[in-house]
Amino acid sequence: MNFFNKMLVITALMISHNALSEVVVIVNKSNSGDVDATLVKKIYLGKAKAFSNGEKVTVYTLPTNQDDTEYFREKALSKSNSQFKSYWSKLVFTGKGTPATEVDSAADIIAAVKKDPSAIGFVNSNDVNDEVKVVVNY
Amino acid sequence: MKLISCIKLITATSCLLSMHSYADINFSGFASVNAGKVLSGTGVEHYDVPPTFLADYPIVSAYTEEWDMAPESLFGLQVTADLTDGLKAIAQLVGRGAEDYSPEFEWAYLSYEINENWTVQAGRKRLPLFYYSDFYDVGYAYVWMRAPADNYTWQIFNYNGINLMYNTDIGDWSLATNVYTGKEDDKENKLLGDFFFKEETREIWKDMLGGVVNLSKDWFEARLTYMQYTNERFIGGQQTTWGGSDSRDGRFYGASFNFDFDNWFLLSEINRLDLEFDGNLDTNMITLGYRINAFTPFVAYSSMKQKGDGVFDGENHNTTSVGLRWDFHDSAAFKIQYDDVTDNSYDYAVAGDSKSLSFGVDLVF
Repeated sequence: MNFFNKMLVITALMISHNALSEVVVIVNKSNSGDVDATLVKKIYLGKAKAFSNGEKVTVYTLPTNQDDTEYFREKALSKSNSQFKSYWSKLVFTGKGTPATEVDSAADIIAAVKKDPSAIGFVNSNDVNDEVKVVVNY
Repeated sequence: MKLISCIKLITATSCLLSMHSYADINFSGFASVNAGKVLSGTGVEHYDVPPTFLADYPIVSAYTEEWDMAPESLFGLQVTADLTDGLKAIAQLVGRGAEDYSPEFEWAYLSYEINENWTVQAGRKRLPLFYYSDFYDVGYAYVWMRAPADNYTWQIFNYNGINLMYNTDIGDWSLATNVYTGKEDDKENKLLGDFFFKEETREIWKDMLGGVVNLSKDWFEARLTYMQYTNERFIGGQQTTWGGSDSRDGRFYGASFNFDFDNWFLLSEINRLDLEFDGNLDTNMITLGYRINAFTPFVAYSSMKQKGDGVFDGENHNTTSVGLRWDFHDSAAFKIQYDDVTDNSYDYAVAGDSKSLSFGVDLVF
C-alpha cells in the first residue's frame, strides 16, 4: 500500500470538493416535517427513525466509494467512511439498527424520494431538481 | 391508451411478483485474521500453565511462545430476512480458529419493530453485559485487537429469551434502552471446563433479568446496566453446591462513559459482578486514543480484582496495552498491539505474567 499516493488522492479529493461540490439533503415534496442538520445526523446514525410529524423515515444513501458520500459523512455526521462503517457494524451485528438502502446514483435517489413521502436522501447540488424538496445544504 | 394499459399491466405484474417473493434476504458479515505470540511470560507453574497470554477468556483464545493464527481469527456471516412491515428474522453464524472454524449460531432471533420507538426481539442473542459484549466478535467495530481481556471474563455470553427495546430522542440527546430476560444452559463450557477445572463443566445461568440505558449526544455517551441471574454448575457430572445450596445468585452492575473531542477519544468502563460465595469481581478499563487521518494510536489499561468475605488472594490481574489501528481500506483495518499482563494472584492465578505481540486485519462486508 503506497501511503503517499493515498495521501495525494485524499488531498486531491478535498480540493475538488472545495472547488466544485456541495451536497444537499432531500425529502419528498409532500413532507411537512421540520428537517434540520441535527435530525439528519440522528437519522443517518440510526438514532431517529421518524420525521418531526411522526412519519416513519426510509433512508437512502449513495455507495461508500462515491465522493459525495464521503463528503456527506464528513460534513453532516463528522465521520470518515471507516468511522461510519465501524459505527454501523456495531448496530447491524447486534440487531440495533437497519442501515440505509444503498442505490447506485443521484438519479436513483431522486426517483426514490420523489415516489416515497417517507424518504430522505442526499445528492450533489448539481444533480438536484425541483421534483424533490431540499432541506439542508452542506 | 394501449401504452397506458400496458404499463398498468407491467406494474401490477411486478407488484404481484414482489408479493410472491417471501422475503428480502440480505447477507453481511465480518472477519478477523490475527496472529500473535507471547514474547516472554511466567506461566503458572503450580497449575502447569506454560507462558500464556489469555486474549479472549470466554472462548479460551490463548497465545503461547509460538506464533499462532488460530486463537483469535474468526469468520462471521449474518443473514437478515426482511419480511416487511417491521418483521425480520436474523441469524449470525460464527466460525472461530479457536474452535477449528466449526460454525455456531451465535444469534438467531426474530425482530419486530412495533413503531419508531419500540422493538421486540425473541430468540438467541448475545448477552449485553459489558459495553462491548454484544459485538465482541466484530473487531472492525472497535479500536483494539480485542475488547480488554481482563474485563471480558464472563463464562456465559449468549441467552435464549426476549428483549424489548425503546429508543427516543430528547433535543440533542438520544436515549436507547432495553430490558431482557432469558436463560442459557451451556453443556460444555469452554472457559470453566478447558481452562479452569480441566473437566467437562456444564454452566447454567437462569432467571436472567437485565436492562441497559444508553444516553448519547455528539461527543458523549453513557451506558448503565444491571443484570441478575441464578447460577447452577455441574463439574464432571457432579452438581456444585454453595453453602448447601444447588444454586447461587449473581448481580452485575456496569457503567461506561465515552468521550470524543475532535480527534481525541476516551473510553472507560467500571463493572462489578457480585457473585454469592465468590465475592465481588471488579473490572475497570480506560483507553485513550488519537485519530490522525487513517491512523489511530491508543493506550489502554484494564484490570480485574476479586475480593469479599471468604475470598483471600482472589483473581487479580491487569493489562497495559499500546497499539495502532490503521484503516487502510474503507472496509478493513490493520491492527497491531502490545500487551503487558500482570497476574498478582497465587491461588487464583489465571495465566501468569506475560508480554505479547499480536496483529491482524479486521473487516466487514
